[in-house]
Amino acid sequence: MLKILAACGNGMGSSQIIKMKIEKVFKKLGVPVTIDHMSVGDAKSQASSYDVIFCSVTFTDIFKVRGTTKVIGLVNLLSESEIEGKIRENLTIPS
Amino acid sequence: MGDFLSVFDSASKVFFNNILGKPEFFIGGLVFIGYLLLRKPIYEAFGGFIKATVGMMIWNIGAGGLVVTFRPILAGLNDRFALNAAVIDPYFGLNAASEAIKSIGMSLSWAMISLMIGFGWNILLVLLRRYTKLRTLFLTGHIMIQQATTCTWLVFFAIPELRSIAGAVWIGLLVGTYWSVFSNLTVEPTQKLTDCGGFAVGHQQMGQVWLASKIAPMLGDPDKSVEHMKLPKWLSMFNDNVIASGTLMIIFFGAIMILLGEPYMRNMDKGGFPATIAFPTYILSKSLMFSVYLYILISGVRMFVAELTESFRGISDRVLPGSLPAVDCAATYGFSSPNTVLYGFIFGCIGQFTAIAGLLIFKSPIMIITGFVPVFFDNATVAVFANKFGGARAAAICAYCTGIMQVVGGAFAAWYFELYKYGGWHGNIDWDTIWPFFGVIMKNFAVPGVILIIVAMLVIPQIQYRRSENKELYFKCGDESSEA
Repeated sequence: MLKILAACGNGMGSSQIIKMKIEKVFKKLGVPVTIDHMSVGDAKSQASSYDVIFCSVTFTDIFKVRGTTKVIGLVNLLSESEIEGKIRENLTIPS
Repeated sequence: MGDFLSVFDSASKVFFNNILGKPEFFIGGLVFIGYLLLRKPIYEAFGGFIKATVGMMIWNIGAGGLVVTFRPILAGLNDRFALNAAVIDPYFGLNAASEAIKSIGMSLSWAMISLMIGFGWNILLVLLRRYTKLRTLFLTGHIMIQQATTCTWLVFFAIPELRSIAGAVWIGLLVGTYWSVFSNLTVEPTQKLTDCGGFAVGHQQMGQVWLASKIAPMLGDPDKSVEHMKLPKWLSMFNDNVIASGTLMIIFFGAIMILLGEPYMRNMDKGGFPATIAFPTYILSKSLMFSVYLYILISGVRMFVAELTESFRGISDRVLPGSLPAVDCAATYGFSSPNTVLYGFIFGCIGQFTAIAGLLIFKSPIMIITGFVPVFFDNATVAVFANKFGGARAAAICAYCTGIMQVVGGAFAAWYFELYKYGGWHGNIDWDTIWPFFGVIMKNFAVPGVILIIVAMLVIPQIQYRRSENKELYFKCGDESSEA
C-alpha cells in the first residue's frame, strides 16, 4: 500500500482537489493507496513518512526530502491526464 | 388531535434544542444522510458522521480559545485608547459571525441550512444554463461554510424579521446566486490563464479576479512578467502558513501589547502574567497563542469539510458534464511562477500596512489587524491574473490596491455590521467590496433589497453572454476539457 500526501498552502481547498483526483487515477491504475491531505507547513515535517507527495509546482521547492520520498509537482491540479503521466514517470506501475 | 399537536410540538422542541442548536450533530447528520444517498455502506456513513462531528467540536475548541485570548486585548484597546480592533481573516470572521449569531439566540445550524439551499440553488441555476447562462458549480467546501456563515449574520443583522426558516431560504438564495454568478465571471480569465484547464475560481476574490483581468492590460506589458524577476530566497518561507500567520501575529499583537504597556497587561491578566515572567516572553507566548488556536480551529474545519466535500461530490459529478467546477484559488498558482504568489503577497502586505497606518493617522475608531488568508491568498491570486494580462507592473499595482481595499472595506464592514465586538471580519476582498455594499442595501431596503440584489446579480451572466465574442464557445470550453 502506497502512502500518499496531498499538500497545499492552507491544507484546505486545493489539497482536497488533488486528493480526489489522484484517488481516481490510482483507482484506474489499480494501485492501492491511502491518501492524506494537509498544509505545506505540516507536510514539511511529515514528509519522510510518506512514499509520494503531490502538490502544486509552486510549492515543490519547499520540500527538501531525503531518502525515498518522491515529490511530484502539478501544473493543473484538476488534470487527470497530467497526474497519470507524472505517476507513470515517477513510479513503476504495472500496465 | 390536541395530543398529536402537543407531541409534535415537544418533538420539534427536542429537535431544535438537541440537533439544530448543536451544529456539530446537525453537520454530522447531514454527512450521514449524504453518504446514504450516495449509496455508501452504513459503516462509512457512520464514519463520516463521527469525523464531521469531531471536526466541528475541534473547531469549537479553537474558536473558544481565540475568544478567550482575544478578550483582554480587545478590552484593553477599548479601555485605554477607545479603539476597536478586528482581524481581517475568514477564520477570525467565521468566529466573529458565529459568536454574533449565537448572541441573538440563533445557532450556526441556520447557516448550514442556508449553505445547503445555496448549493442546491447553484445546481439548479447550472442545470437551467440555457436560460441562466451560468456554467459553474461552486465546490469549495470551506469557503462555502465561511461565506454562508458571514452572509447569515449580514442578513440576520440587517433584516431582523428574517431570523427564521424563511430567512434561511433567502440567505441560501442570496449566497447561492453569488457563488454561481461570480464564479461564472472568472471562467474567461481562468481559461486564458490555464489554456482551457477546465475549471473556474470558486473562492473569495472572484470579483477582484475579473476586475484585475480587465484592468491589468492597461497597467503593464504581459511580456515583462514576474517570472523574470529575482526575489530574495528568504521570502519563500512565507509559503508556510504556520510561519506566516505566526509572524503576523507577533508583529501585530506584539505592537498592541507594547502600546498597552507592561503595567497595564500585568494588571489585566494577573493569572497569565505572573511576576516571574518577563514582558518579552509574555508577548511572544501570547501572540503565538493566536496561531495555536487558529491552527486548532483550521484542523477542525479541515476535518469536517473533507467529509462534507466528499458527500457533495457524488451530487456534483452527476451535474458536472457540460459545466465547470469552481475551485480553490490556489489551483491557479501552478500556472504562474512561485515568484508571482510571493510577489502578490508582498505588495498586498505593503498595501495593507499603508492603509492601516492611514486608519491610525486619521483616528479611525476601528483598527485592522492583518490576517494571513486575505493578505496571502487574495493578493497572490490577483497577482497571478494581473501578471498574466499585464505583467509584473500590473501585478504590483493590483495587489497593492487590493491590500488597501481589504483594510478600508474591512474596517467599514467590521464597524457597520458590528462584528468588531467579536474582533474579526471575513476580510477577503469580495467581502470588503461587494458584500458590504449588499449589506448596506439590505439594511436600507430589507427584503425588497435582497430580491433586488439577487435579480441584479442574475443579470450579469446575461450581459456576459451577450458580449461574448463567440456564442458557441461560451458553453463549449467546459465540455472539451472536462475529463470526468
